[in-house]
Amino acid sequence: MTPLVKATGLTLRYGRKTALDGLDFEIAPGRVVGLLGHNGAGKTSLMRAMVGLVSVEGRLEVLGLDPRRQRVAMLEQVSHIPDVAVLPRWARVGELVTLMTGLHPRFSADRARTLIRRTSVALSDKVGTLSKGMVVQVHLALVAAIDARLMILDEPTLGLDLLSRKAFYDMLIDEWCDGRRSVLISTHQVEEVEALLSDVLMLDQGRLVLALSLEDIDRRFVALGHDPGAAEAIAASHPLLRYRVQGGSAALFDGAPPAAVQALGQRLRPSLVDLFVALTRRPEINPEASAAEGTR
Amino acid sequence: MTRFASLVRREWLQHRVGWCVLMVAPTLVLLALSAVDGGLQLRVNADDITLPPLRAAPAAVQTALLTAAAGGATLLLACLAVLFQLPGLARRDQQDRSIEFWCSLPIGHAQSVAAALLTHLLLLPAAALLAGMAGAQLAALVTIGASHGLAAWLGQPWPVLLMASAAMLLRLWLGLVLAVAWLSPLLLLTMAASAWLGRWGLPLVAAALLALPKLVDPRLPAPWFGPALRSVTGESLAALAPLQAWHGFDPGRIEPSLAALPGALLRDAAQAAERAATPGMAVALALAALGFWLLVLRRRRAL
Repeated sequence: MTPLVKATGLTLRYGRKTALDGLDFEIAPGRVVGLLGHNGAGKTSLMRAMVGLVSVEGRLEVLGLDPRRQRVAMLEQVSHIPDVAVLPRWARVGELVTLMTGLHPRFSADRARTLIRRTSVALSDKVGTLSKGMVVQVHLALVAAIDARLMILDEPTLGLDLLSRKAFYDMLIDEWCDGRRSVLISTHQVEEVEALLSDVLMLDQGRLVLALSLEDIDRRFVALGHDPGAAEAIAASHPLLRYRVQGGSAALFDGAPPAAVQALGQRLRPSLVDLFVALTRRPEINPEASAAEGTR
Repeated sequence: MTRFASLVRREWLQHRVGWCVLMVAPTLVLLALSAVDGGLQLRVNADDITLPPLRAAPAAVQTALLTAAAGGATLLLACLAVLFQLPGLARRDQQDRSIEFWCSLPIGHAQSVAAALLTHLLLLPAAALLAGMAGAQLAALVTIGASHGLAAWLGQPWPVLLMASAAMLLRLWLGLVLAVAWLSPLLLLTMAASAWLGRWGLPLVAAALLALPKLVDPRLPAPWFGPALRSVTGESLAALAPLQAWHGFDPGRIEPSLAALPGALLRDAAQAAERAATPGMAVALALAALGFWLLVLRRRRAL
């Protein structure tokens, strides 16, 4: 199946600073991909590169097009939320629906109005008078009304309350994802999106430290719950991460731990948060873990 | 085309309140003046033409003068508003961060800039002129109705008046296009300076316009900046104002004078177009293209 996004040796530099460093990945149709990383890891830079707002080295194809040189044609099949609270403050919500109808060939005004009616925002409201959360709701409704093949969302639920976040994710899965369209979503609320994701791209200081499906993550990474008494033996086997779980400790391994170590605990399903911490810890925070990771 | 029209519509939605006010204001002022005790006492002195107080003039003269006054005042207001807004226009989307929203849509950067320029530089002044001339008819109805009665207003030589008004409107629209073309290097380079240099852009352009003719011209084999500036401002004014067409206009013989006006305006339009077909205009348009490119480049790098 032809991937919707294909990056090969993707590198982005801002002067001397390397924001993205030789990324290789693909996004297939029908996937919900989480883009995870600390602040400054390169998530927004990657998304901007994917919508043609910055020039990159290496090769990047989105929907078979060069995002920089064929930006307009590409964006006709992509819906994108670049950041929260960027809707023009002078506009009324209904006017934005009207404008989007003329500006985006795949935008459905009826669908947008239906989605907006589910929120607490009225079509006659002026964006400048809305709270940040309301602006986000409007923006999400506008973007979800685009019949695109790829949705790129940069921290889309920032500023939304829990109910609104849940409503958005439900809408995304129930009504938008149809097995052909893909979503790339960056967020710090990893626990909330974990159940939605099919794949994960994990960035750390511009480098891609993980690009796997959730199934492959479950196969590759092993978490082992154990008693405090086994901690020393577990530590000796160089896990990626040691952490606390309810009622004891756990260790995360890249691959199956030695059989002797496996016998010391019970296998757990590693959470995305633990994996994220394990793969993106800063060396200055935990030099030992960094050294252990380096020996993998 | 739908997309470009939507971008033009965006300008209307964003600025419509201010635009409506400036389009209606001159008509309201004329209406207010016509309602004051004694009526509107307008005298026009141009060349050797001296008009009696407006209320004493024949109905057709009143209509013609009010149309010219309201149209001219509305056009002037619109031009001043555009000049005031233009430097900020280059940065407005960055300032309110909506640039990220606009750039997430399938719109070319050049298309965005072109739509804003077209709307502000041409469509707004053209619409303001039309609104002013149309509003003047209401002011004329009130003024003539008060001085001569409604029958006098109805009995005006409407075919001649409408033909003359339409010809004047078309001539001024052409003049507007030519005037903007002559001034385009100044306008677009000022916008580009504002886009790239922020609040320093406008003062720097103003300083450059003052300094270059005084400091650089004396060091050149032949002065260039001063004559060039005088040329573009002079040519733009000449293109906009159809002064030639008014020679021979006699308010005492209003009907034949108005009947002759379309022909005179047509000849004047041909002369204005002829004056634009010069190497100077080509240089002006080339500099304007540079300004446009700088604006597009700035928008592309805005994020």
